[in-house]
Amino acid sequence: MSTNLSGKYAIVGVGQSPLGKVPELGPIGLFAVAARNAIEDAGLRKEDVDGLITRGPDDVYCHHQRVGEALGLDVTFSTSTANGGASQAMAVAMACMAIEAGVCHTVVVGYGRDTWSRTHRDAEAKQAVASRPRTYSEFGSEFGQFGAPVNYAVAARRHMERFGTTKAQLGAIAVAFRNHARRNPLAFMQKPLTLDEYLNARLIVDPLCLYDCSVFIDGAGAVAVTSAERARDLRQPPAYVLGFGFGNRLSGWYADDNMITTGAREAGEAAYRMAGIGPGDVDTAQIYDCFTHMVLLQLEDYGFCAKGEGGPFAASGALELDGALPTNTSGGQLSEGHIEGMLQVLEGARQVRREHTPDRQVADCDIALVTGHGGNTVCQSALILGREAG
Amino acid sequence: MSEYRKPLPPPSVESAPFWEACKRHELAAPRCDACSHHWFPATATCPRCWSTDWTWTRVSGRGKIYSFGVYHRAYHKGFADELPYALVIVELDEGPRLTTNVVDCKPDELRCDMPVEVVFEDVTPDRTLYKFRPVRGG
Repeated sequence: MSTNLSGKYAIVGVGQSPLGKVPELGPIGLFAVAARNAIEDAGLRKEDVDGLITRGPDDVYCHHQRVGEALGLDVTFSTSTANGGASQAMAVAMACMAIEAGVCHTVVVGYGRDTWSRTHRDAEAKQAVASRPRTYSEFGSEFGQFGAPVNYAVAARRHMERFGTTKAQLGAIAVAFRNHARRNPLAFMQKPLTLDEYLNARLIVDPLCLYDCSVFIDGAGAVAVTSAERARDLRQPPAYVLGFGFGNRLSGWYADDNMITTGAREAGEAAYRMAGIGPGDVDTAQIYDCFTHMVLLQLEDYGFCAKGEGGPFAASGALELDGALPTNTSGGQLSEGHIEGMLQVLEGARQVRREHTPDRQVADCDIALVTGHGGNTVCQSALILGREAG
Repeated sequence: MSEYRKPLPPPSVESAPFWEACKRHELAAPRCDACSHHWFPATATCPRCWSTDWTWTRVSGRGKIYSFGVYHRAYHKGFADELPYALVIVELDEGPRLTTNVVDCKPDELRCDMPVEVVFEDVTPDRTLYKFRPVRGG
């Protein structure tokens, strides 16, 4: 019925901007640096790029146009995406589809945002935050619903009461990713984190504490996607796109049991089917970790353990580099920094390229699962990258 | 009486009848004339069968807690004096879920699936909020 694109396209270059506190660059500048680095990594030239799919701050109108202007790029295919953290893995899939459709040949995909600087860059930025007009949504703000953490707190609470999941199990996720970050010199959080420190940390929205929440930084990541045929002539080993899939439970996070079993189940099933593999074939997972609890849910929904067993699985040491499923091996958004899932795409590609030093490289890594999650919490995207085309 | 300091977003075209019902101390939800489905908040079409024929209907006001999160940080100064306070998701017997607060119950007494019933708070002369309280010994 449908054409299977598995192995026909590949990530051929990866690049990132400086990460952390980068007040000298704005969101477009960060993106441009990452895009240039991705193209250079691939051994491609600016003239080879004929597609651009971007995402950045939601307040930048036609973001891709601003990025393209900064890069002096005229392309055939271009758009910005608006699927929150599900956008980045989805954009790599969109690039494959666009190339398959014949509308372009080589696509740059990326995300960049000055998330730290926009509230801390200077006195003016701080003042703008303090005095910005607030608009409050009804059926929530009247009762004190503000910010993102509560959406994950209620999901964690329900999971805890239903399955006996514990704070210490969520803590194991935060600690594992911090251990990874400490082997990544570019990760934002370098201080050791113990389970004891996690359990005594300041609560934000109980059951979630400070260390359950991702770290907001400035930065950008980008990749170049092209055909497997072209990829073979380029500088780097290709990270073949073996599968992708999506699940968008648009009826809402608070509808049905969508906060217990998420659209990641559908995304994963489709991606595994396309790649012709199962969860047991995945060597490393790069999971969208805006909050620890989302990792736990995705470990279940992507089939690494049964529903309800994400807590014991995480606490077993599985997520460590020598564990059953080394996960978020660059530190994740919880410790490397939150670039809305783009650094997870980069790390998945780097792991199947096997380019890391032994202290960070997943042994014999052939297959990486990369996930994205966002858009009012209900949108899920999955990407499976492979060292071989199939 | 001191000034009410928490957010009160103005009712929208869709939500105005709901807030008017609250002022009468009645909890209302859209009910589909075609398939009897209840949902919330109001939208032009029934999310189940897409019928545009539906009616604001008084509901029982009874339900149970689906889940909750307890704020330990004030994101709005109107709530600063109440920390820690719980944001609660209540599932009505008719099906819709509401974001709300539960009164007469400390945050550490809350449990998922706890039975609750609606109460109304006239917070300003123009606005009444729906909240819930535990059904004791029910």
